[in-house]
Amino acid sequence: MIALTREPAFWVVLTLLIAGGVRMTQLAGHFFTAYPRATALSVLLFALLAVPFWLFVSELDFIEREPAELLALAFAWGALVATTVSIPGSAALENLVAKLGSPHLAADWGAAIAGPAVEEVAKTLGVVAVVLIARSQVNSVLDGIVYGAMVGLGFQIAEDIVFAVGAVALAGQGDQVQPVIATFLLRGFLSGIWSHTLFGALAGAGIGYLVVKRERSRPHRVGVAVLAVLGAWASHALWNSPVLVDGLGNGTLALLGVLLIKGLPPLLLILWLVRRVHDREADYYAGWLAGLGDPQLITAGELEVLGSGSRRAAARRLAGEHAGREASAAVRRLQRAQARLAVELSRADPEAAAVRAAAVRDQRAVLRRLGHPEAVAGPVTWRHRASTIATTAVAIAVLWVALSALGGA
Amino acid sequence: MARLTRRQLTNLLGALGVAATLGGLAFGLPAIDRSLPSERAISTDEPYPIGAGVTVVPPAGAVLDVTGTRPGDTEGTALFRLGPVRYAIAVRPFDGDLTAAAERLRKRIVDTTGYQVTGAQLTVSTAGGLAGLQGGYTAPGRGGRYAVFVAGGHTIEVTISGNDLDLGRTLPQIDASTRTLRQDGEPQ
Repeated sequence: MIALTREPAFWVVLTLLIAGGVRMTQLAGHFFTAYPRATALSVLLFALLAVPFWLFVSELDFIEREPAELLALAFAWGALVATTVSIPGSAALENLVAKLGSPHLAADWGAAIAGPAVEEVAKTLGVVAVVLIARSQVNSVLDGIVYGAMVGLGFQIAEDIVFAVGAVALAGQGDQVQPVIATFLLRGFLSGIWSHTLFGALAGAGIGYLVVKRERSRPHRVGVAVLAVLGAWASHALWNSPVLVDGLGNGTLALLGVLLIKGLPPLLLILWLVRRVHDREADYYAGWLAGLGDPQLITAGELEVLGSGSRRAAARRLAGEHAGREASAAVRRLQRAQARLAVELSRADPEAAAVRAAAVRDQRAVLRRLGHPEAVAGPVTWRHRASTIATTAVAIAVLWVALSALGGA
Repeated sequence: MARLTRRQLTNLLGALGVAATLGGLAFGLPAIDRSLPSERAISTDEPYPIGAGVTVVPPAGAVLDVTGTRPGDTEGTALFRLGPVRYAIAVRPFDGDLTAAAERLRKRIVDTTGYQVTGAQLTVSTAGGLAGLQGGYTAPGRGGRYAVFVAGGHTIEVTISGNDLDLGRTLPQIDASTRTLRQDGEPQ
């Protein structure tokens, strides 16, 4: 944190965060005064919803993890600064659509034009702010994706709370919680996965590319960054657009079809992008570890495991089955230590690398004592496969219930 | 006092650029919005579509405020202005009865800080036979009237606000306009 304060940008960003915090606190104060129960529930529900998203996003870059304070800063930017700017900005732009076009145009396309144009810029500036105050922490396209997704997550959670309390006010039935629950189902479950977190990740990838790919010409990097932000804007505009507003007919399947048509293309695009940059980064760091040629630090089997989230999890499962929970935890610590060692090797810092290597050897000793010396992935067991199928079935059932409850049936 | 290095200066300028862009979005766009007129002349002798098939004949001398007007197939809003008096109509899907609709509107009014409903509700009807309820409210520095109707699975909420003098002068035209509210399929 002390290093961050050395950058002049830190103080500008801090000022913006404080201003956004004051504004959003005022808004929250109005909400709590008018609808205390509904506001408290919406804050609780959406804060809980943020937890799995946060864990998923922060795990994306397992090997070179982003510092918690920068992830918190990105989240706060989305929740406090981007929202504070977007509320008056989007409303004004929608009014301009009505004034320069017509009220009909604003009614049909206002949300698709105004929302993305203001919000995507405000969110993308959050990733720029992270670059300005901690340039050394943005050293891969994946870092840009993680910070962009975190800004988007903060924005999404704050916006969801505002919408939930807005629904309570519109219902005109006082401090009731039903509109909060309906908003939670609609915006949390049905719109959650392809909402601001996704758009922010796409724009963040562009900023990451702009900053990191120094071997490319500046026009090329700027072009890619602009394309990424435009991609985020287009995905958001498609989601907000009146296209298919009448749906594909009645019923849950029809509603699901519309959600998939409007939300799936950007979701698949960003998943493909994450996979590509993630694998490239994993290969890069695996190369540093492989160069050590020391099986005490990492074996050939562990090198295959380290770059993939599912294989790392499989290795922990295998350790748990062979040697119990303690071994599973030790494998997790070993994987973390190996990842940190790889990062220090890439930074050419022998002292830090020696400390990390010692941490790896400590965990290796623990695993050897537990009778499970190598953290490799085992074959997929029937129990794991059954658990995956059951989890998927539960997720589909929850989605189905949510769609039906919201009028799809 | 330490001097800024070239790198720190670039860093500071970048941050100020971010702040300026945010300022443009938060203050510049609203300023441009305010600089452009929002009122449009409107024909006051033919029905104006509000949304969900609901129409109203605007009062004589009224103009349309496009910032509060959003027509739609399933819901919509229209905002008319007669000088300083604000005449807003909102149509929204609703599955309750007239009493519930009126209660919902009254609750929304009193939930606004400083607003209070005054007096009892009276029945009101449109020329096409839509039955409704109307009442009054006060707000700091202004007074208001509301009316609510339920038709075809929608609630039609009318709110009128302004200072007492202007309200007294324009209410007859607005009441006449409110009586022209109708929904598609309803007899003329």
